[in-house]
Amino acid sequence: MENKAIYERLTEIFHDVFDDDSIVVTPELKAADIDEWDSLTHIRLVVSIERSYKLKFSAAEVGRLKNVGEFVDLIQMKAAA
Amino acid sequence: MNTRQMLDRLDAAPLGLSTLWEGQSATVDFTVTDADMRNFAELSGDRNPLHVDDAFARSKGFQGAVVYGALLVAKVSQLIGMKLPGRDSVWVTLSMEFRKPLFVDQPAQVEGTIVGLSPSTGMIELKLTLRAADKLLAKGRAEILIVEP
Repeated sequence: MENKAIYERLTEIFHDVFDDDSIVVTPELKAADIDEWDSLTHIRLVVSIERSYKLKFSAAEVGRLKNVGEFVDLIQMKAAA
Repeated sequence: MNTRQMLDRLDAAPLGLSTLWEGQSATVDFTVTDADMRNFAELSGDRNPLHVDDAFARSKGFQGAVVYGALLVAKVSQLIGMKLPGRDSVWVTLSMEFRKPLFVDQPAQVEGTIVGLSPSTGMIELKLTLRAADKLLAKGRAEILIVEP
């Protein structure tokens, strides 16, 4: 799965979840960078990504992610499994 | 908290994430009465004659006063809050499509089936169906977050 395609899809998901089309999704993007990124929107984000990619993550996998780049790595690893 | 509130709370199923699975379902059987309709009209402030005036409803082609859609949603609330998943949950999304009307004193059943479960977030997705005499009246989806201590 290509990184570019993942970031494009994640951008659509972020825009929908945060209702903000100005968000630029980069590998360094993290929760502290977006005011609206609270615990409930985080859950919405993870669920949206799980549904979009038809993947399931564990709480531990999601809990140790530090930024979007690590999330992309997790998506690639799960999709390849 | 009074005794009734305590009993109501004890009646709510305490289903944690580990006891839920995709395909699990629960139902609530109910019949909406005239008194329910009057109470709901008072509570909601919605006195649209379609819901409170049989003659008016018949003039619009219905067999009688049409049960409020939001009253059907109230039964979904009962299903979610008391049975599936019950006590340790908070409802975050609902979509409902009303296809056929339900009428006063007509027995009906709302059913919820888990069609999605996200262990990483504790979110479950319920498919909802509402039937009367085996006819589909409404269907929808709800998302519920499991909030465990």
